[in-house]
Amino acid sequence: CTNDFEEVNTNNNVPNDVTPDLLLAGVIRNMVNSQVNDAWGIGNIVVQHHAKIQFVNEDRYLWGQQNSIWDNVYGNMRNVKNILDRVGTDDANAYKGIALILKSWMFALATDAYGDIPYTEATKGKTDGVYLPKYDTQESVYAGVLADLKAANDILANSSTAVSGDILFGGGTGSLIKWRKLANSLRLRYLMRISKQKDVKADMQAILADPSKNPVFEGIQDNAELKYLAAAPNQWTLYGARVGSFDEFRVSKTLSDRLTALKDPRLMVFGRPSQSSVTAGKPVIEGVPNGLGDVPALNYNGGPQGVSRVGYTFACLVCNDPGQAPPDPAAPRGIIMNYSELQFILAEAREKGWITTGTAEGYYTKGIQSNFDYWKSVVPSSYGINVTPDASYFTQPAVAYTGTSAEKLGKIALQKWIAYYFNGLEAWFDWRRTGMPEIKPGPDNLNQNRVPVRFIYPLSEQSLNGANREEAVKRQGTDDLNTRTWVAK
Amino acid sequence: HAGVAQSVVTGQVTSDDDKLPLAGVSVIEKGTNNGTVTDSNGKYQITVKSSSAVLTFSFLGYVSHELTVGGRAVADVTLYADQKQLQEVVVTALGIKKDVRKLGYAVQELKGESIVTARETNIVNQLAGKVAGVTVVGSPSGIGGSARVTIRGERSVDLNKNQPLYVIDGVPISNSITGGSGQGNLEVDFGNGASFINPDDVETMSVLKGPAAAALYGSRAANGVILITTKSGKGNKGIGVEVNSNTTFERALKLPEYQNKYGQGNGNGGDFAFVNGAGGGLTDGTDEGWGPEFKGQSYPQYNSPRTLNGQVIPFLGGDLNAPAGSVITPTPWLPDVDGLKNFLRTGRTLTNNIALIGNNDQGSFRLSYTNLDQTGIVPNTDLKRHTVSLSAGYNLTKKFSAKTFVSYIKSASGNRPSISYGTESIMYLFNCWLPRSVKVSDMERLWMNGLEGRRQFGWNYNYHDNPYLTVYENTNGQDVNRIIGNVILKYDFTDWLSLQVRTATDWGNERREYRRAFSTQRFPFGQYREVKVNTEERNTDFLLSFNKDINKDFNVSATFGGNQNRQSSIYDEENAGQLNLPGIYNLTNSRIALVASQSKVGKRINSLYGSASVSFRNYLFLDITARNDWSSALTLPTALKAFGTENNSYFYPSVALSAVVSDMVKLPEVISFAKARASFAQVGNDTDPFTFTQAFNPSTPFGSSQIYGETDRLANLNLKPEISTAYEIGADLRFFKNRVGLDFTYYQSKTKNQILQIPLSQTTGYNGRFFNAGEIKNWGFETMLNVTPVEINDFKWNIGINFSANRSKVLELSDGITNFVMASKGVSIEARVNERMGDMYGIAFARVQNTSASLPYYDATGQNVGQIVYKDGRPVPTTNVQKMGNYNPDWLAGISNQFNYKNVKFSFLFDVRHGGKIFSETQVVGREGGIIKETLEGRADGYDLSKPGNGVIGDGVVQNADGSFSKNDVKLTARAWHTAFTGGRNIAEGVMYDASFVKLREVQLGYSIPNRLLGNSPLKNITVSFVARNLALWSKVPHVDPETMAYNGGTALPGIEYMSIPSSRSYGFNVSFKL
Repeated sequence: CTNDFEEVNTNNNVPNDVTPDLLLAGVIRNMVNSQVNDAWGIGNIVVQHHAKIQFVNEDRYLWGQQNSIWDNVYGNMRNVKNILDRVGTDDANAYKGIALILKSWMFALATDAYGDIPYTEATKGKTDGVYLPKYDTQESVYAGVLADLKAANDILANSSTAVSGDILFGGGTGSLIKWRKLANSLRLRYLMRISKQKDVKADMQAILADPSKNPVFEGIQDNAELKYLAAAPNQWTLYGARVGSFDEFRVSKTLSDRLTALKDPRLMVFGRPSQSSVTAGKPVIEGVPNGLGDVPALNYNGGPQGVSRVGYTFACLVCNDPGQAPPDPAAPRGIIMNYSELQFILAEAREKGWITTGTAEGYYTKGIQSNFDYWKSVVPSSYGINVTPDASYFTQPAVAYTGTSAEKLGKIALQKWIAYYFNGLEAWFDWRRTGMPEIKPGPDNLNQNRVPVRFIYPLSEQSLNGANREEAVKRQGTDDLNTRTWVAK
Repeated sequence: HAGVAQSVVTGQVTSDDDKLPLAGVSVIEKGTNNGTVTDSNGKYQITVKSSSAVLTFSFLGYVSHELTVGGRAVADVTLYADQKQLQEVVVTALGIKKDVRKLGYAVQELKGESIVTARETNIVNQLAGKVAGVTVVGSPSGIGGSARVTIRGERSVDLNKNQPLYVIDGVPISNSITGGSGQGNLEVDFGNGASFINPDDVETMSVLKGPAAAALYGSRAANGVILITTKSGKGNKGIGVEVNSNTTFERALKLPEYQNKYGQGNGNGGDFAFVNGAGGGLTDGTDEGWGPEFKGQSYPQYNSPRTLNGQVIPFLGGDLNAPAGSVITPTPWLPDVDGLKNFLRTGRTLTNNIALIGNNDQGSFRLSYTNLDQTGIVPNTDLKRHTVSLSAGYNLTKKFSAKTFVSYIKSASGNRPSISYGTESIMYLFNCWLPRSVKVSDMERLWMNGLEGRRQFGWNYNYHDNPYLTVYENTNGQDVNRIIGNVILKYDFTDWLSLQVRTATDWGNERREYRRAFSTQRFPFGQYREVKVNTEERNTDFLLSFNKDINKDFNVSATFGGNQNRQSSIYDEENAGQLNLPGIYNLTNSRIALVASQSKVGKRINSLYGSASVSFRNYLFLDITARNDWSSALTLPTALKAFGTENNSYFYPSVALSAVVSDMVKLPEVISFAKARASFAQVGNDTDPFTFTQAFNPSTPFGSSQIYGETDRLANLNLKPEISTAYEIGADLRFFKNRVGLDFTYYQSKTKNQILQIPLSQTTGYNGRFFNAGEIKNWGFETMLNVTPVEINDFKWNIGINFSANRSKVLELSDGITNFVMASKGVSIEARVNERMGDMYGIAFARVQNTSASLPYYDATGQNVGQIVYKDGRPVPTTNVQKMGNYNPDWLAGISNQFNYKNVKFSFLFDVRHGGKIFSETQVVGREGGIIKETLEGRADGYDLSKPGNGVIGDGVVQNADGSFSKNDVKLTARAWHTAFTGGRNIAEGVMYDASFVKLREVQLGYSIPNRLLGNSPLKNITVSFVARNLALWSKVPHVDPETMAYNGGTALPGIEYMSIPSSRSYGFNVSFKL
């Protein structure tokens, strides 16, 4: 009488298989949330958009292991692979193209954060029985990423699939062009990223040569960003934070100094006047230096009242100031890549003579202008923040596209750094390549005055995939925060 | 002349040990069929045929007594407990009663009386210190929470799989724990299955320690069995009433020791001023105790009065809705020395039981009602439990009998405390983040004035909840209905062959209700979450028994049986993560879409088993058992059949041999009894249902986009059953006319092919994979020593000592895997090949070494070896985790003393646990927050580092640029030091403690009023006892009772203290009588 044992042991609570659309939305949401949380926890700190006044370890470069990217990339890659496995060799299926774009973006995140990573053998536990994937070099990961993005663009060009589960661009057939623009814009981002090691001229030019074949972002409406919803649980990830936890993070003095010097109205988006300056009737944004010890950080400028909190737009439910409209959990967005970044990439490439279309100044100005436009579209009008710069903004010496080529590149880097606000770890990744704008380790840093340039591998890899990790470490250098990976060498 | 006269003899039979009447004693005229039994008062009346008749008085467990009537009309008899014969009968597997002398394995039994008098709400806590080889760790949550019991150590690297099986009247019950966290809620310990058993209905609790004892129970018995036999109405003729009433009071056994010198602040040496509790004043957003010294000064505080234009208004500092322009009047800056002590209550537990008992020739019954009414030491935590039980048996014919036991349990708690680390836990607040200047009791006012139900009132609005709000408003309610019952039919074909058919159920229906008020840190709009857990375990079995004396030397008994076990559980959850209106805890009041989750799980095991026992001349006994199980959990679902190898049937045997040597050969006079025993057994085990499923799990949709994701662990379609093999040898020796008894057992077991979820590198796409792996060896010994040093007239002194030691070692994990992280919280509990089970790993202090020049901190001179290495004044953490110790004790001992003098009984029990380590999170974060008394180090006189005693220079060395070492001379502020001490919650070494303890576990003083003093009163057998449990604790662990554990998603984590609620000491009295 064990006849019905098969039935008893069949799990009817959940499906054993699902269609790609049901997987797609989960991957996008998880990865974008991870992107936002990484920006908040580390990215904004290390590039000195924000600084910490309590629990200051991150700001003092006492990082330990940072596993969030690792866990999120590989954990979600399982479902990316499920999409790809379900589509198979159908090169007219848009899910394949979209999955390849996500895959490329995710692996690029992982390799930028850690260097050499499992790539070709990764996520093959179920299908191929690979339990100890070997680590690939960053160079070969990037070769794969760029090839996949190119393939994705081609697949999507031939596809007429009406996509659902596409919470990034809205799905249907109308979103396919947007995914293609993202694919090609990402190609330009990653070509720029490897440009210290590889001559990327030809590849960049090939993309830009045929806009109908290789469309790229054409305006902020093309931005690859997740628009959060008003209803829980798909709200802005910080919306549910405790006020104390939110207030540990403040505007960095680096950001406030630089933007104040430029009279940049975006500073009012990124921060809010310190409470003591408001009380004194002279509202002003006052940043706190990065990398202070516990006591000096908390007591800087007379304590928490004397340093600016992070902008209303990004606030938690109970983080609004008296008299201020309540935060809108659907206002802030989770950015994968935006139009402004693309413009700055093109400006740099043009300035360096790697591409021949357009002018560097044109791209540069569009980059700045589009970023103002972007924040204008994001920040609720009820906050009463004017994001439109004075006309003189563009003509002031620190902004005007003048000077030596090196100076121009410095201006591009500065504006790119501003436009990267809250975009995961991208600003840090890009800074590693250019060294611009300057990042000075804080006075109480615990890393011998060096800005970290990578994350260490998760400690669990030592026991779970030890030999392969060991091989990568031997190839790449000591597994610490200060070993430069291939792209940043 | 002798053969003709008939005469009537009457009398009373009493027992020697308690001087009480013995009911049910058989009185037989020797050589005839003429006989009777004593009634409930021990009285008998028999008509004998001759005055030379000899009466035989016999009763189980007592020496039979023969009395020549010799013309007497009245003959009172005292029966003596039979120690020589060792007619101790214990209940063994399948509910079969066996004479201890026949057993080839260790079984230890607790009598119901001892469980009832000095009681525990969770009955399994009673085993602590009383049964050799049993480790009990109590709940970190107080009132009736879970207890983790392990017998003879741990066999499985799955922490959940090391608990014994609980069996009531021969039928297994569910002992599952359903975790209480999720949806933003912290852990709540809602109790494990066994915690619902009503002590008043328990006749005996037997512990079957090894697989040989337990083999017949199958899969789940590999970790031993706790066998509970319920009380029946047997033994009392007529109708009787038994009443037991118990009242105890509980206080915290050990409170953390806090510093009382400095108040709220962050170590800047400045003043304090409350403005908005969120950084608007002077350090009023800081939740740390590194503030100004208490020197009689005054500051505006959260509980200070407010004035407007010089007039006092009914608003306090913390009322942020106070009229604009109001001013907080400074009040004295004082430590709230007894804040926690005053916050905690005296718990009270009232247990009243009344049982109606009836018995006649045809049958018996016992109907019992128990009321448990408990309030915990944490305010507004309680437990109310009603248990109605009926036990009845009836002889339908001479050969056909029916028996039933049914118990209905209704258990309700308005609130069980949240535990672990986080805002919902009160100990998280008290031990870590509640500056000593905060007057706790003023937060009994829960709400800001005029914003009742909407905005909480408190000392901090940045991170923390008002602790009174936490316990009074943010409740975790529970309502459990449970029915445990069985029906047994037995037919005796002949006096040597019988068939028993039995069916039993354990059905539970539990409802949990989480309420969170508006303005709670985690739930600004409140929360209402409802969880329903339905569990059922049904067992139906038959047992054919044969028992026959083959000839005068041989007796053979044999059984053959079969069992079908059906388990099912249904979990339903609905969560309203935000509410529309405060105070309405109903799913319809949800502000956002409800989040639901649901699962139904089923499992079935069919079994056939048999046993045979042969005894030779009543001194040599051989016992053989065999069992085969078929498990649905190891059965491949139809769709997967083709992809794996099914192995869902497993067979396992046992053999036990026992020899009463003292009856076989003549031994020296000093040895009164000697028995040797040996056994071998195997037990197979299956796995959880749905292990073969590679599921895609739903998650909350994004708008209208539904979301699924594949589960992160890989199924394995070729799983085999686990198998555990055990050997055991033992001896039972009695000396000096039974005045000294010694029982010794050595055992060894190996568990193979464990079904584990072995961790995988995340880069494979999966976190783990099911696998048959590992071999774990357990070995150890148990001894029990019973001594009666004094026995003079009415005075008797008994000493019982039990001592046990166990070691468990990991022999093998699987190819390529040498360590397996079983659990992780502060430290990680890892199984490593060739290491001991229960080892904990964590980051240590880096130290100077001279073993390898290629490793850091190498000192060729060897002078500094072992010194802690510092950098910037901070201890340097090691790169890799190191062994921090093992949470298992080196040995356990229980020492009991019992004194009897006439009707007075006095006893006490010491419970000793030696060795083992515990990780204390209270120490980690309590230092960080400047709360615990250790944080006075480095601030002897405030924060001015130029003054002596201020700041800390860690004891150790620094490595110079040339590689040499010199003394660390960097001084850190106290605040920096106490965080550096753990490397910012990274270094575990400094917070590992020796978990050894001695507890005065139990004290009882009882007096039985002799019935003769009661005259005609209907009350009989009145016993009054003073009882106390956990009266005293000796331990080296600061702040907390080392006998605790952490609790994580339904898994109990031993060796880790994570903000547990203080354990309690209880004292009270027990009164029992009969009508």
